[in-house]
Amino acid sequence: MYWFNLLKANTKKEYLELKRYLPNTLALVLTFYIIFLGMFFGIQIIGDPTTQDINIQFAIVNYIFWFLAMMVINNIGWQITNEAMRGTLEQLCMSPMGLWKIMLSRLIASTVINFILIIALLYLSMFTSGQWLNVDVLAIKPIFVLTIISMFGLGFIIAGISIILKQVQAFLQILQFILAGLTFVPLSVAPMLAFFPFVKGVDLVRDVMIDGVTLSQIAAVDFMILAFNAVFYFIGGLLFFFFCERVAMNKGLLAHY
Amino acid sequence: MVLTGRERDERMEPIVIVENLMKSYKKRKTKEVIHAVKDVSFTVNRGEILGLLGPNGAGKTTTIKMICGLLTPDSGLITINGLNNQKKRLASLRQISAVLEGNRNLYWRLTVRENLEYFAGNRGESRKDIAERVDDLLQKFHLKGKENELVNRLSRGMQQKLAIAVAMLADSEVILLDEPTLGLDVETGYEVRELLREIVKTYNRTIIISTHDMDVVQDLCERTVIINKGQIVTDDKVANLLRLFDVRSYKVTLGGLLSDRQQELLEQKFPSYGYSPDTFQSILEVDLEQSEEIYELFDILKIETTPVESIDRKTINFEQIFMKIVKGDMSDVLVQSS
Ligand SMILES: Nc1ncnc2c1ncn2[C@@H]1O[C@H](COP(=O)(O)OP(=O)(O)OP(=O)(O)O)[C@@H](O)[C@H]1O
Ligand SMILES: [Mg+2]
Repeated sequence: MYWFNLLKANTKKEYLELKRYLPNTLALVLTFYIIFLGMFFGIQIIGDPTTQDINIQFAIVNYIFWFLAMMVINNIGWQITNEAMRGTLEQLCMSPMGLWKIMLSRLIASTVINFILIIALLYLSMFTSGQWLNVDVLAIKPIFVLTIISMFGLGFIIAGISIILKQVQAFLQILQFILAGLTFVPLSVAPMLAFFPFVKGVDLVRDVMIDGVTLSQIAAVDFMILAFNAVFYFIGGLLFFFFCERVAMNKGLLAHY
Repeated sequence: MVLTGRERDERMEPIVIVENLMKSYKKRKTKEVIHAVKDVSFTVNRGEILGLLGPNGAGKTTTIKMICGLLTPDSGLITINGLNNQKKRLASLRQISAVLEGNRNLYWRLTVRENLEYFAGNRGESRKDIAERVDDLLQKFHLKGKENELVNRLSRGMQQKLAIAVAMLADSEVILLDEPTLGLDVETGYEVRELLREIVKTYNRTIIISTHDMDVVQDLCERTVIINKGQIVTDDKVANLLRLFDVRSYKVTLGGLLSDRQQELLEQKFPSYGYSPDTFQSILEVDLEQSEEIYELFDILKIETTPVESIDRKTINFEQIFMKIVKGDMSDVLVQSS
């Protein structure tokens, strides 16, 4: 029950923030809508007609993951930096639930909210462009969930860094491009990236969506890598976060002022 | 100088125990080590209001943050309601809530009610469970009409009241307030003090207040721990300190001037006396060691039958006691008294 209330409170806050910064939110949504439309129409015109659908799907899958990664991972870094400056971070640290649970709730909340947003945008784009893609949601679900878990792990690492470093803004800017690299580069180009967070997941989702691979056709090894990544990054990220929290409490870094 | 007068009421049960606390910071650039808190020990009893006093940089905030589990002490032990706040950090956090320095305790882009609900949610409480308490607090804190106002639209005083309300909502036994009246104008400061007094009466919480505001101490605190340069210099009841430093200092208004002879005698009897001559209304200030000495003062005045218009006994306030303890200088009290 504690957990559920915590999740509810943080989801509401995330939602309220989007509402309060409505002009920003609208600008963001509009930008993504335009980019989506650009992809639908652009690929249609430039692309080779035989691979058109594949190209569209490729771009869209990448894009959705990049958007989510940015909204979730970057956002947690920004939030912590801001709250450390404003002083609310210390209040969060005094929660008897533990800071990490609050952070996890926020990661979950912002994933859910942004996921709904991006899916709505996707369907809106399909509606406007008249290009109806066959997005097999059921098949990509398990891959998606495992991928999101490793993404949360990365979120915890970024959160930890943001707690102990005062100047993470520049780093967060660069992170956007690192995330773009991780989502856009196909594994066939760089196989070792499979062990980077969420690269394998995005690749598998592409397999499903583009080559029509079904769940049963995915090699057990692939799933194991995915599951390993999820566990490894989540636990590793969490441990790193705990370490940063401890350093911050030792050095008095929870308030950056 | 260390004053010891720890007349602990034996029936009282300590809820916060701080033992041999040490904390030093390393400056980022110069690598210089600052010993912010050096071997601090004190206890706070259930239901007590303790004032934590000290000049700037004394280590008050550092001590408070260690009690709140926001800073790890280099060494020492903090026990809150029987729980070691390092080993059982989260469990001990259930017992406390705090308003930290400055107006940094709230989300400025959320409304009054949303702030209350969000912080309660972070402690695992649901909106429904707290609804009644939220209404009660809004009422008591005179924030009812403002509940849907964004925090950044509120005055500094209202923000402070809301921050205290958030801490109250946590339903913890111990509340720590770091400089709750800092930056507030006289009237708002008074209002916040009244509010705190009200809280003490109705809710029976244990409160630790760090402050520079001696009105807060005199109005609210039963006991004070005074720290200077990271060390405790005094731990005593406010009433005891007031009694201890109570001087018999008199201000006599005279309807004329003192003669040379009178001044000579005063010099002998009361070397620290003060005299501001004026043909119509001279002021004579004298400190007595024993109350009987007042007769000797009158004997001197009687020589010339100098007309006495009024006699006032000056009272010492806590600010003067504080100055004296921190500076370790008695003359301060006498010179600055008015
Ligand atoms: N995070 C920090 N890093 C380095 N030094 C610090 C840090 N926090 C406090 N200090 C230093 O530790 C000492 C004690 O500071 P502290 O904030 O506890 O004092 P204080 O009694 O609260 O003072 P004030 O009345 O100004 O609030 C000061 O010398 C301060 O400069
Ligand atoms: Mg302070």
